[in-house]
Amino acid sequence: MTALALALLLPWVVGVVLLLADGRRKLVGWAAVAGLLANLGALIWLAVRVLPDGEQTIVTGGWTDGVGIVLRADALGVVFALLSSLVVLAALVHEVLEGVRSRTFPALVVLLATGLTGLFLTGDVFNFYVFFELAMIAAYVLTAYGDDRHQLGAALIFAVVNLVGSFLFLIAVAATYHVTGTLEMSEVAARMADVEPNAAILIAVTFFVAFGTKLGLFPFHFWLPAVYAGTRPAVAAILSGALANIGAYGLLRFGAGLLPNELELGSTVLIVIGSSSVIYGALLAVSRRDPAEMLAYSAIGQAGYVLVALGVGGPIGLAAAVLYAILNALSKALLFLSGALRGALVAAAFAVGALSLAGMPPAAGFLGKLQLFRTGVEEGSVALIVLLFCGGALSFVYAFQLYQHEFWRGDRVAVGTDSEKGVPAEPSGVAVRAVSVVLALLVLGLGIWPEPLLSLSADAAAVLHGGAVR
Amino acid sequence: MSVLTEAIARLLLAPALMVAGAILVKGYVDVGDGFSAAVIVTLAVALQYLVLGARRTEEEIPLLRFAPRAAIAGLLIALASGFFPLLFGDPLFSHEPGPGKRPIHVGRLELMTPVLFDVGVFLLVAGALIALIHHLAEPPELEEEGHPAPAAASPAAPAAREEASR
Repeated sequence: MTALALALLLPWVVGVVLLLADGRRKLVGWAAVAGLLANLGALIWLAVRVLPDGEQTIVTGGWTDGVGIVLRADALGVVFALLSSLVVLAALVHEVLEGVRSRTFPALVVLLATGLTGLFLTGDVFNFYVFFELAMIAAYVLTAYGDDRHQLGAALIFAVVNLVGSFLFLIAVAATYHVTGTLEMSEVAARMADVEPNAAILIAVTFFVAFGTKLGLFPFHFWLPAVYAGTRPAVAAILSGALANIGAYGLLRFGAGLLPNELELGSTVLIVIGSSSVIYGALLAVSRRDPAEMLAYSAIGQAGYVLVALGVGGPIGLAAAVLYAILNALSKALLFLSGALRGALVAAAFAVGALSLAGMPPAAGFLGKLQLFRTGVEEGSVALIVLLFCGGALSFVYAFQLYQHEFWRGDRVAVGTDSEKGVPAEPSGVAVRAVSVVLALLVLGLGIWPEPLLSLSADAAAVLHGGAVR
Repeated sequence: MSVLTEAIARLLLAPALMVAGAILVKGYVDVGDGFSAAVIVTLAVALQYLVLGARRTEEEIPLLRFAPRAAIAGLLIALASGFFPLLFGDPLFSHEPGPGKRPIHVGRLELMTPVLFDVGVFLLVAGALIALIHHLAEPPELEEEGHPAPAAASPAAPAAREEASR
């Protein structure tokens, strides 16, 4: 219980206090890093307690069930919270080492981490929304970080589209409360079976559109390339590596956890949308030359894989969806962070990320693809396996096209300057590069010793299909 | 703005503050809470800004420059009153004195931690809204260009700007 409360309280207080300080000073940046480290520590402590024993629940104020707000840490939530916290930490350390340019950057990053931790560890639909907004509001401001025209444009698009997404989500929450009379997730799941099918389908579709918008799935993807290409690398890493987890987690928790019947009913639609996302994202990524834009399109494709796995469902499909979401977040963060750097070892770190994205064996991304193939085989669907193969092949093409374009061309130029007249880039500082290298080693390590990750994702998926102690 | 509006704006401030205070403290026996109290205060302050302009208002009520800090302090107070039971091993957001126990009375005012929480909410909402109004009344671009900002206002201004963007 203490770990759960501390994981929320520590980053919250640190973030709020840091708002007073000038974030451009190194000391403040490191204080923010310390806050996130404390958060990560509390989450690890929580994970150690939660993973063997099922889950931990706090009902606020000691009220009876149905009155108090429920905070619940189960395997799925803890895994996603750990992942997001780790990615945010890496991005923050990267930016602090590079030199923070705005007063509020460190505080906002810590508050964003608070929001993410909160929403992954809540057992209440409305509380989910509250933390979700906390994270989103921090993200709106972060997208504008840099105060350049590009960043402001990106922030505008990001804020408008995601406000619509949040609004849809809120409508779906209200509708859920209207038909079930409760906001507590396990109660909602129990009562949803008796709800009139039309209403339930409508709610499920609204949730799907809301999370699809966050995740940037194919028909709702239009905002993603402009935003990822416009923001600074550290922010893009946070958006694609941490914030996009909300979409994946939301689809898993609300789809497979709360609305399993509707998920089953819509599985064909999900697989079709997921497949078109995969193909569309991959084809457009191949055609792009700008690294950030290419990664953005690739993010659309990767989100499609998660959706396909979710659509197939069952223990294997859900575990594959969790695993894929985790690995994708890690490789995306690694690619965004290392793609902006110059100097020795950066290219190697980037190559590890590219391998992971393409699903090649030494890197961890391979596991994700492997699990997806297993899902396809289990389902006995030739179309799915062909799709996975084509998607994988295309991602191999664009990942290494990018690698070649970025790191093999002789005239390296500084990021943000025009490639024709730009000055050759200075090698980045050793410490900044070390962040990417550590992240790359983590991705490699998980690929070489996959067992912990596989069991984690199986545990997390077990929460959804009821395999674990609930 | 005519003399009349100016006079009314000045006259309204004190009663508005009093009403807000009453709404804030009676929240636990009657309708009212920190949020609505803060909105009332902000409305009264907004009227001052509208009538007197940002600079004169902030000269007359120097307290307004602390709005961003008040918001942060309020958030910390609210967090503290929610999370303090952690120290005693009680569930989060338990209140003190607990259900069934008699709170300390000061007249009709009951002292308990939820009141503290609402004071936090009051400070947070009022601080954030006033910081926003400051920016609407005197956007940062204006401060930097044409109008040389008064020396006293400048230290708080960057803090307020950041606060508002939050």
